[in-house]
Amino acid sequence: MSDNESDDDVRTDGSGSGIVAPDDETPSWSERKQRTQGLSRLTYEYFERGRREDQDLRQQSDYVERDVLAFPAWPHEMMRNLALTSFFVGMILFVAAALPPEMPNPANSGVTPAIILPDWYLYWSFGLLKLGPLNPDLAILGGQKIMADRTYGVLANVVVVGFVAIVPFLNKGSARRPVEQPFWAAVGMSGVVFSLTIAALSIKNLIPMDSHLLFDLTFLVPIVSATITYAVLKTMREGYMFTLNRRYYRLRPPK
Amino acid sequence: MADEFIKGFAALMVGGLGWMTIAGWYRTPSFEGAQLIGEVTVEEPTVFDTTALLLMDAFFWFAIFGCLTFWVVIPLFGELRAYLDERSA
Repeated sequence: MSDNESDDDVRTDGSGSGIVAPDDETPSWSERKQRTQGLSRLTYEYFERGRREDQDLRQQSDYVERDVLAFPAWPHEMMRNLALTSFFVGMILFVAAALPPEMPNPANSGVTPAIILPDWYLYWSFGLLKLGPLNPDLAILGGQKIMADRTYGVLANVVVVGFVAIVPFLNKGSARRPVEQPFWAAVGMSGVVFSLTIAALSIKNLIPMDSHLLFDLTFLVPIVSATITYAVLKTMREGYMFTLNRRYYRLRPPK
Repeated sequence: MADEFIKGFAALMVGGLGWMTIAGWYRTPSFEGAQLIGEVTVEEPTVFDTTALLLMDAFFWFAIFGCLTFWVVIPLFGELRAYLDERSA
């Protein structure tokens, strides 16, 4: 590329409209700040410079005929995968050999333990069985419950699993980062926090807290966290300029 | 900057792994008690025990000071030098 080219193609070598500075004339930050167009201009230059560097790389590359510059699977990718696999297998062997866990006594099948709990990853489901206080007493039935507490707990599992199952149909997941859809990020955060608080509720006899307070917090903390998430992400949108980034390919130099 | 990050991270991981291993040998009296920070209960430390306990402390402080050096001290030094250069120029 020389500066003497006089064809009418779009030039990306820094000549012409002066949108992209040549390497030795890259403006300093104070010079950029003095430009009147400000942010839109700066953003355009930023992306245009990246595009031009891509173009230069492609033109200087040996792989001119190819669409994608990438590494071949053999040997490059395979070497990397083997290195990673060896590392993790080595770590497993090292930890197993150097720090073997103690083998405790086998469980006594003739004795029922004092506290019966499922494995930790099922605490949330176990906690949903303890929602008896939410089971409404219906006045029209003379204060009777319409279903037993245990039935109610099982139905709560159905409701929660059903909600998790329909979320992919309500939101297609087009957002690539939480700031783009603060509402759904808040929904996700409340779900994560609820899975933790409901797990804490399921072991309420092990938690040093009033069980009624814990029951209330189980439902209040997810709402609070969702509110905070929504507020924070909504505030972040301002500085994040994601609408600007989203229009990257439609960007034009400002007049 | 990425180089400094991975150097500090490597120091943290190598030191942490070495400390965790030796502390698992000497400072974990029971599987159900204190893990890695229990009391050292070696009656008559041999040369190997003494060396291992010394190495344990060495690994621990290497992890702490290694990551502090590469993540805090060296960048601070660079910032300071850039600032002084800019002011004197």
